Amino acid sequence: MGDFLQYVELNSYLHRLDPRTKFVFFIIMSVLTSFVKSGVALLFLFVVFLAIWLSGRIGKYMLVLLNKVKVLLLFIFLLWLVLGAFTVNAGPTIYRAAFSIFGNPYVFSLDWFDFYKGAVYSLRIFLMISAFYTVILTTNFSQIILGLQSWKVPYAVAFGVGLVFQIIPMIVQEFATIMEAQKSRGLEVDKCSALAKMKNYVIVSLPLLFRVLSKGHSISLAMHYYKLNFKVKRTSYKMIKATYSDAFFASVTAIATVVTIILQVNYYIQV
Amino acid sequence: MSFKIENVSYKYSPEAPQILKNINMEIKEAQVTAIVGPSGCGKSTLVSILSGVIPTLMNKGELSGSFQAGDEVTISVVSQTPENQLFGYGVEDAIAFGIENMGLASQDIHERVEYVLDLLHIQHLRKRAVSTLSGGQRQAVCIASVLAMRPDLVIMDEPVSSLDPRGKHLIQSVLNQLRSSGQTTVIVDNNLDWFSGIVDHVVGLDQGEVVFDGNRDEFFAQFDVQKKLGVIIPQEVEIYRELSTKVEGLKPFSTLDEAFKELSGRIERTEVPPLHDEPEEQTEAVLSVIDLSKRFQDGFQALKRINAGFEKGKIISILGQNGSGKTTLVKHLNGLYRPTEGAVTYKGAVTTDKSVAEISRDIILVFQHPEHMLFEESVYQELTFCARAQGVPFSEEEALAVLEKYDLLKDKDELPVNLSMGKKHLLTILSVLFSSADVIILDEPTLGMDLHLRNHLEDIIRHLKEKGKTVILISHEIPLVFKISDQLLVLDQAQKLDEGSKQELADDEALFEKINIDLPPVVTLSRRLGLNRLACDVDSFAEAVISKLHLIENSKN
Repeated sequence: MGDFLQYVELNSYLHRLDPRTKFVFFIIMSVLTSFVKSGVALLFLFVVFLAIWLSGRIGKYMLVLLNKVKVLLLFIFLLWLVLGAFTVNAGPTIYRAAFSIFGNPYVFSLDWFDFYKGAVYSLRIFLMISAFYTVILTTNFSQIILGLQSWKVPYAVAFGVGLVFQIIPMIVQEFATIMEAQKSRGLEVDKCSALAKMKNYVIVSLPLLFRVLSKGHSISLAMHYYKLNFKVKRTSYKMIKATYSDAFFASVTAIATVVTIILQVNYYIQV
Repeated sequence: MSFKIENVSYKYSPEAPQILKNINMEIKEAQVTAIVGPSGCGKSTLVSILSGVIPTLMNKGELSGSFQAGDEVTISVVSQTPENQLFGYGVEDAIAFGIENMGLASQDIHERVEYVLDLLHIQHLRKRAVSTLSGGQRQAVCIASVLAMRPDLVIMDEPVSSLDPRGKHLIQSVLNQLRSSGQTTVIVDNNLDWFSGIVDHVVGLDQGEVVFDGNRDEFFAQFDVQKKLGVIIPQEVEIYRELSTKVEGLKPFSTLDEAFKELSGRIERTEVPPLHDEPEEQTEAVLSVIDLSKRFQDGFQALKRINAGFEKGKIISILGQNGSGKTTLVKHLNGLYRPTEGAVTYKGAVTTDKSVAEISRDIILVFQHPEHMLFEESVYQELTFCARAQGVPFSEEEALAVLEKYDLLKDKDELPVNLSMGKKHLLTILSVLFSSADVIILDEPTLGMDLHLRNHLEDIIRHLKEKGKTVILISHEIPLVFKISDQLLVLDQAQKLDEGSKQELADDEALFEKINIDLPPVVTLSRRLGLNRLACDVDSFAEAVISKLHLIENSKN
């Protein structure tokens, strides 16, 4: 699993940005990708993302993400392709045939537009996921807590969110170790049928559950040792402050948003 | 300030058995107090009461007696797993977490962070991410985070149990700093070996009762209590325990220098090169690694051209600091990792095309943390898991006899995760007795074990050897390694430095200096006293000293 789903320590401008700037980027891009359905606009947004990733030196981590979600993206593409094939669209057709089932007439019409539609939906999902992942890769959980606190999010909520991002890599590591331990004592998960493999993965979930419960217990004890009380006002060792880089990044986000909206208005094909 | 615990009794529920029975003790100001006792004696419950976890977080039990700790008193705990205790991505974030919770002004927080970084000499770690620290460094940061809260009492629960020798040295030096700064400290650990030079006061618990309360030297003088409590004591004290019954007028000692001073006055040093035992007959290497190299995907070179053979019926220990490549090597032996270059062969055949489960029929690896392995619903089921997974026939009588021999019969229907850490570990090791594997690899098998369980472990390892099995051991418990191993394989920075019999390697002081591991006191004393054979365990050392004393006596007569 390596660095998947966790902060990666690098000295890049993206890492140095104020977490709030990255939160704003994430919110805007999430909203944008929820509404924008123009292939041209999404393609433009993808190019902007690509520039951000490459200049922030996280390109290879985004490739890892792409690799992990490729099956999901393919599924979305095929789903829209198949659904689209039962709708007659304008534009060039690859194959069209009429047939009937139980006396009901149907038209199977595979058009180039169906491919376009499948690609648009896959790209939208990928951009949504990667906007979130860009923030996760470049913002550690302490910065996430600080950022949320500065937005007046109650500390209990901010701490909870930060804790989730602290614990996820631990659980991923625990799962990998438990798999290794079980294989080492004879549990076959490599050379067996898919059903047996699934059954064996379920077996592994029990020690994982115990480990997670035990970690949860240790963490609650540690919160007690450190006198964490959400009713008492906390102070902060570190302060976060926006810089010129934040202003620049925010400007890029704003310009990219405006251009995307213009492209959406001008090049929108109903999908 | 001092803390008085008076008539404290506790049980987890009205129907549950009494865990603590009328505990009376005092934790003295500016002293280091050790609380020792076997698994299940009530140490952890006492820590929960002292730290306020009982009754603040766990309030369903019955607690009586008094422990004077008001709201204004700060008592902090350092647990054995700092990764579960540290909140914060960076070292500074983690250290500041507790003081931020106290609502101190920013200036005060900065001052306290600087103070603890200076006090523990860990300024160089301040900009590091917690996840990139070694075990010892992580524990030092954990101690710093607790000290920053300026606690009246710091309790440390087995703080070095999972650290390598380098990590232990770091925590020893941190504790020395604390002691000289006048910090009142309690260390809960049944292994007194690593902190015997720091401890002032020892409290022994057994079955929920205080059975010893005195200073360190008094504890070291009470052999029966040490044995009853299953406390692991410094090897020097073990030597004294062994010799004091046979050598008249021997004064007590607990350090290497004291032992040397006491014994050198009685033994004339002879400048003869040390004799080695006759080399044992070499048997065939059942398992071999040939030119084994491993480079991970991120480019990290974990092993460089390792060549080694593991002989049938031998106990071979792999030594080295964390990161030297020990675990990576054994994960190649059972197929969890595939080599970048080179090969692993079992009985002459390359293992590459086999799955890990297939290899486990011949080579089985028992992991460091038993929770990663246990998932059956009863101790009995867990014991026989390997046999069932590998299709090895076994009888119920056989399994029950093993449980009885190792004091687990009464727990046979218990959920394995409910056992103490030491017993859980023992159970995972016992399960390999029913496997078909000829090579057993044990990674840090002593984790969480008191002396009683450790004796069981030694017994199991010898039993495996007698059955002609090869045992490969990774352990930071160096005295144990020298006591039970036949051969050693030393790794450092991904390379093999040396391999050979333990006596041959014990003779090479430079080798152990290079890997920064202290040789056991018996080896060092044998050399300093000029014994003609380097002893690797207390029994053979005592035997050598006695025979030398007899020789001197005879020559005088």
